[in-house]
Amino acid sequence: MESEDDMHDANEVASVEEEDDYYSGGEEEEEDMDEEGGAEDDYDYSYDYGDEEDDDTGDYDFIANYSDDGDDVLASRSQKNYTILKEEDIQQRQEEDITKISTVLSIPREAACILLRRYNWSVNNVHEEWFADEERVRKAVGILEKPLVKTTNFKEATCLICFENYPCDSLRSAACAHLFCDACWKAYISTSINDGPGCLMLRCPDPSCGAAVGHDMINKLAPEEDKEKYRRYLLRSYVEDSRKIKWCPAPGCDSAVEYVVGSGSYDVTCSCLYSFCWNCTEEAHRPVDCETVAKWVLKNSAESENMNWILANSKPCPKCKRPIEKNQGCMHMTCTPPCKFEFCWLCLGSWSDHGERTGGFYACNRYEAAKQEGVYDEAERRREMAKNSLERYTHYYERWASNQSSRQKALADLHQMQSIHLEKLSEVQSQPESQLKFIIEAWQQIVECRRVLKWTYAYGYYLPEHEHTKKQFFEYLQGEAEAGLERLHQCAEKELMNYLNSDGPSKDFNDFRTKLAGLTSVTRNYFENLVRALENGLSDVDSQAVCNKMSSKNVAGSSKAKGGRGKGSSKTSTSVRNTDDSGNWACDQCTYVNVRSVSTCHMCHHRR
Amino acid sequence: MQASRARLFKEYKEVQREKVADPDIQLVCDDSNIFKWTALIKGPSETPYDGGVFQLAFSVPEQYPLQPPQVRFLTKIFHPNVHFKTGEICLDILKNAWSPAWTLQSVCRAIIALMAHPEPDSPLNCDSGNLLRSGDIRGYQSMARMYTRLAAMPKKG
Repeated sequence: MESEDDMHDANEVASVEEEDDYYSGGEEEEEDMDEEGGAEDDYDYSYDYGDEEDDDTGDYDFIANYSDDGDDVLASRSQKNYTILKEEDIQQRQEEDITKISTVLSIPREAACILLRRYNWSVNNVHEEWFADEERVRKAVGILEKPLVKTTNFKEATCLICFENYPCDSLRSAACAHLFCDACWKAYISTSINDGPGCLMLRCPDPSCGAAVGHDMINKLAPEEDKEKYRRYLLRSYVEDSRKIKWCPAPGCDSAVEYVVGSGSYDVTCSCLYSFCWNCTEEAHRPVDCETVAKWVLKNSAESENMNWILANSKPCPKCKRPIEKNQGCMHMTCTPPCKFEFCWLCLGSWSDHGERTGGFYACNRYEAAKQEGVYDEAERRREMAKNSLERYTHYYERWASNQSSRQKALADLHQMQSIHLEKLSEVQSQPESQLKFIIEAWQQIVECRRVLKWTYAYGYYLPEHEHTKKQFFEYLQGEAEAGLERLHQCAEKELMNYLNSDGPSKDFNDFRTKLAGLTSVTRNYFENLVRALENGLSDVDSQAVCNKMSSKNVAGSSKAKGGRGKGSSKTSTSVRNTDDSGNWACDQCTYVNVRSVSTCHMCHHRR
Repeated sequence: MQASRARLFKEYKEVQREKVADPDIQLVCDDSNIFKWTALIKGPSETPYDGGVFQLAFSVPEQYPLQPPQVRFLTKIFHPNVHFKTGEICLDILKNAWSPAWTLQSVCRAIIALMAHPEPDSPLNCDSGNLLRSGDIRGYQSMARMYTRLAAMPKKG
């Protein structure tokens, strides 16, 4: 098993390296640019479009190769630091693990299954524990070494549940000597299965006996429906107990995602195409961190009555976060299986921390002390204040929500494009569909950008009020991003229509291709930089706050005056260096590579 | 329903036979409803409950014995794990540690054991729990004793 571990480690290292690649875009041309941008100064989101003269050729290649590279990017992304597991894959892995344990420890498969379940399906843990102290492990999980000798000297025996007498051979027991009749066994098993996943740890009904009841008993005694439930619980436990696998949260999706822990970005895309954050299982939310998303999501639902009720009447289990309603009993709470976390209702601390030291159990002193110090009042007041600033919240929420619905719309358009328009366009313009991939990529980019943009509003909401420079800079970046995305969206939606509805092949279709592909890559770059900048917490604003205060203000000011870059820039500098061999020239402002014949940038109308 | 009735009937017959065997417990089935039982238990000796007779009310669910019966004290008792007002009992075997192999009789035995060995770490009666936890055994005992005299003993004279 050690060898397997080693392999695993090797994999991890490999994926981490790959991950770096992913961050920098996965394409060499882009990487060059990133390195340069990074080395010089991170403060270049707004200038990325045109300031680096040396990048021209790179950029040109990038556009030319774009349709070829696109596939690699998509393909390599899905093999990065995570694996998609279908239900069959999970089942297969589970079976393999059971077989492994069963052969190595020479125990029946049912016992191996119980053992694995107890140690969260970690083959290594089972080995470690078992070989450290087999006796103790056997006792803990209820796998008895030898079935105890049954007292079958008598012809008849009493079922210990219904107290009826039966012939001995019609009574059953787990690996112990406690006999019960089939009817009672069935009822016992069925009750337990319908009680929840706790049935995976079912024991002999005798209170003093810990003998485990395994899959074999369930199969013999449970009705089909319950067997299926048990099977599902077992499957679920394989995913839910594992710290490396999580279910895809998309409705109706049965896949799970295995993630190499500690390998960078948590964003994963399931085979159902749903992108989500593996860490918090909310939808993908870069550049915003999980904590902010949780706050934001809670906030979004906090206005609803449901949430108010849950807030007023329940507390989340400190470990598994399921809301718990306390309906009776003492302050010593035990969460339902599989969590079973024991905690104090008042302070939500672990019960094991409570004792003489903390002063007591029932009127938890930690809670009292914290309350006096104002910790809990503080939380209350914050909630109150948040309600008061509802207006501010609404501002951000509306924009968040409208980007969300734009994204849904774009997603639908993308599907329509793929399923209907692409074919038509291919015929009208006499272009093979494979040559039209740039359109799909443009739409995919739009969908992705809408997602990022959406989360920037959550980001903006939680940006501290007092950090004015940061806020200003953030709003500037956001405004630019929005403007850039609008341009791309406009091009992919409106301009495309002309080509779609024309009678025959259009002459300037190739120009359109160059323009849209260019816009796509420019927008992608901009958004990737934006995401990185926000993930860094706009840290360069801190370091450069003093020297850049003025200039950043100017930038922000001028952008407001102009209403975003691209609409009538006043900059008129010309750069002869920005041309390549074929005479094509890269726009000073947006880096878009224009054909020789035009003198204003096709993209941003900036003059050459 | 039928299974629970049959099982309760078995327990009923068992109780009739064992009555003499366990003098501390007297289980009585309601005349008209086999799902309602009451029990009289004697306070265990060498505890402040010694000499008292406590009445318990059992309400047996239809899923019995797969589900535990609901039990509460009808007699007022000062005990960390019994709610002073409602008589509700905090005992694991009546909640998640229930097993269908337990009987009403064994539940009574478990409650007697709980009276002798209070569990102040999960208290329902905070005052009582506080006394025990702060080490004031004497205070706890005298309170428990007083309530035993007031509520669980036949009035003299």
